Amino acid sequence: MLRVIIAALAGVTLTAQAYAAEVPTEIKIGTLYASSGRFASISMPVYTSLKLWADLKNADGGVYVKAFDKKLPVKLVAYDDQSNTATASTLYNQLVTQDKVDLLVADSGSVLTAPAATIARDHKMFLFDQTGTGASFFSKDNPYIALMADPVSTIWPKPVADFVIHDGPALGIKKIAILYSTNEFTGTQANAFRKFIKDSGVPVEIVYDQGVPTETTNYTVIINNINNTHPDAVFTFGYAPNDIAFLRNVADVGVKFKMLFVIYAGLEKELLEKNVGDKGLEHVFTYVPASDLEYPVNFGMNLPTYKAAWDKKNSDGKLEFGLNAVAGYTTGLVIEKALSVATSLDQMELRRAVFSLSGNLKTLCGPFALDETGGQTGELTPLGQLEPDGHGHLKFVSVYPHDTATGKPVYPRP
Amino acid sequence: MLVYALVAGVLFGLYFSLVGIGLNLVFGVMRIVNLAHGDFLMLGAFVAVGVATLAGIDPLFAVPLAFVIFLIVGLLLYWVLVPRLQGSTNPEMLSIILFFGLSQVIEAVATIFLGTSERSIPSRALGTVFSTIKVKLFGGSPESGGGPVEIFGQGFPASWVIAAITSLVAIGLVYVYLYQTRLGTLTRAVMSRRDEAFSTGIDVDRVSAAAFGIGLGLASIAGVFAPFMFGSVTPAFGADATVTSFAIVVLGSLGNPLGTALGGVIYGICYMVVQTYLSSWADLLPYVLLIFILLLRPSGLLGRRVRVA
Repeated sequence: MLRVIIAALAGVTLTAQAYAAEVPTEIKIGTLYASSGRFASISMPVYTSLKLWADLKNADGGVYVKAFDKKLPVKLVAYDDQSNTATASTLYNQLVTQDKVDLLVADSGSVLTAPAATIARDHKMFLFDQTGTGASFFSKDNPYIALMADPVSTIWPKPVADFVIHDGPALGIKKIAILYSTNEFTGTQANAFRKFIKDSGVPVEIVYDQGVPTETTNYTVIINNINNTHPDAVFTFGYAPNDIAFLRNVADVGVKFKMLFVIYAGLEKELLEKNVGDKGLEHVFTYVPASDLEYPVNFGMNLPTYKAAWDKKNSDGKLEFGLNAVAGYTTGLVIEKALSVATSLDQMELRRAVFSLSGNLKTLCGPFALDETGGQTGELTPLGQLEPDGHGHLKFVSVYPHDTATGKPVYPRP
Repeated sequence: MLVYALVAGVLFGLYFSLVGIGLNLVFGVMRIVNLAHGDFLMLGAFVAVGVATLAGIDPLFAVPLAFVIFLIVGLLLYWVLVPRLQGSTNPEMLSIILFFGLSQVIEAVATIFLGTSERSIPSRALGTVFSTIKVKLFGGSPESGGGPVEIFGQGFPASWVIAAITSLVAIGLVYVYLYQTRLGTLTRAVMSRRDEAFSTGIDVDRVSAAAFGIGLGLASIAGVFAPFMFGSVTPAFGADATVTSFAIVVLGSLGNPLGTALGGVIYGICYMVVQTYLSSWADLLPYVLLIFILLLRPSGLLGRRVRVA
C-alpha cells in the first residue's frame, strides 16, 4: 500500500513538473504585413490594428489561456513581405518551421493570404485569415482556415446583386456593365455578382464584362468603352488604387454614369476622400463597412471607443481609418476568445474553439458566423450610397436591404 | 473606340516619353542602368503633392522646382557614386546592383516619412495658373478649369493634355541641349565614344555629371504628373515605373534619348489599343514589347540611325 501511495505521489509530482515545463512564457502569434508595395495601404491598417489589440492586452497582463488556466502575454512575430507573394511564402514558412509560432495569422487581402492558405494546410496549421475572402481558400476538405473580419467573396456582393434584382427594374436598370481586377478577391466578387444576376432571371442585360490586371491605374479608354455600351449601372470590383484611378478618370473625362458602384469608396472612405475628393464620390454606391456602422458588441470595444483608441495610436495621420483598421482588432478578439475556450494549443482544438464562437460572438465588425468551410457569413455589409451631409462632407446612406436602409437611393446620379 | 484609343495612346505615350528620356540620357552617356530612375519619379510626384497640398498652389510650379532639386541631387550623387563605379572592371553590371540598392533605400526612407497610403492631387488643381491668368486678362469664371479637353469630339482629361505638352517641351529642350549647346555637343561625343572623348581632352566627368543631373531632373518632372496619370502614388510606385521606362528606352533605342520619344508614343498607342480590345493582357505589354524588340531589332527602332550619325 505504501508503495502504491509513493508511486502515486511521484506520478503527481512528475506530472506537475512536466506541466510546469510545458507552460509557455508567452503566446507567439506569427503574421506578415506589407510596409511597401501595392498592398501596403490595405495591409498596414490591418497589422496596426492587430498590434493595437496585442498592446492593449499585454498592458492588461496578457490574454487568458484556458489550456494553461492563466494569463499569458502575447508576442507578435511579424515580418514584412513587401506585398510580394514569393517573399510572403518564404516568411510564412519561416513563421511555421523556424519561429514555431503558436498561432498563424495571414496578411491582409486575398493575394497575400493565398500563400498562407497553402502553407497552413501543408503544415496542418490553423490559419486565422483576416481579410482574405477569396472563394478558393474555403472548401470542405480544408479544415485549417477560417475568415475573421470580412464576408467571404462569394456572398459579399449579394446585397448589391439583390438591389439590382429587386429594385433595379423599378428604377429603370436594364443594362449593366461589370469591370473587375483579375485577382482572387475582386475576381470572385465579380463572378458571384454575375451569377446572382444571371440566376435570378431578372431582365437585366450585361452589356460590358471585362477584367483588367490588378496593377491597372489608368481607365480612361476603358471608361470610354463602357460609356459606348450605354449602361444604366456600372459595377467595378477593384482594390483601393484601382478605385481611386477609376473614379478620378470618370471625373476627368466628364462621363456621368447613372449608377456607379465601387468597393473601396466604402471600405476605405477616408483614403478615397483624400485622393478622389468629395465631389468625385458623391452619389457613388458602395458597401457600408463596419468602420462606419455601429454594431452592438458582446466582446471587445464598441466602434466609438475603438475609434478613439485608434486615433490616439495613429495621431500622425499616416494611416486612414476604414474597414481594414477594424479587421486586425477583430482578429485579435477572435483569437482572445478562442484561447479562452480552447483546452490546448493543438491546431484542431483551436479550430474547434474558433468555430464554437460562430453565432455567439458579436464584435464591432458585426455578428461572427462561419459556414462549415470557415467562410465568414455573418459580417455582411449593406449596400450604401455616399451623399453630402450638408456640412461639406459625405455620409453613408444605407439603401439595401430595406430592413436596415436609412434612405432611398439617388438614381440616376445627378 | 479605335480613334479614342489612338488619341489617348499618343497623349499617354508622349508622357511616357518623358518618363523614359532621363533614363536613356543617363545610359547613353555613362553606360550605367539607373534602376532607381522610377524612385526619382516617385519623389518628383511627392514634390508635386507637397506643392499642391502644403503651399496650395498649382502643381505646375513643382515642375521647375523638382527639376532644380533633382538636378542638384543628381550632380551630388554622381560625384559620390559614379566615378568609383566607372573605375570598376564591370561598371554596367555593378551599376545594376548599386542602383537597385539605392532604389530600395529611397523607397524605404520615403515609406518612413510619407507612409504607405496612396496620395494624389485634385485634377482641377493642375493648370489653375493658366485659368487664373485667363480670368485676369479676359474675365470669366475661375471654376471652369479641370474639365475634359475635346479632341475629335471626344473628351480627354485636361491633365493628360498638359502632361503631353510639357513632355513635348521637355523633349524639345533636350534636343536643343544636345544639338544646340556646347555642353550638348560634348555630351553627344561622350555618348558616341567615351574613351575617345576622354582622349581628346573632354572633361568626361563634368559632361556625365550634367547628364546624370538632367536625367534625374527629367524623371522628377515626369513624377510631377504621375498623380494625374496614374490616379495616385505611393513610395512603392518607382519599381513599376522603372520597368516601363526601360521597355520604352529599349524600344526607341538604348543610348539615343530622342529615340525614347518614338518608343514612348508607340508604347502608349499599343497600351491603349490592347486595353481596348484585350484589357486583361494590357500589363504584359512592356514585357512583350521588350522581348519582340530584342528579338527582331536589338538596337531599337532608331538604333541604326544613331550608328550612322
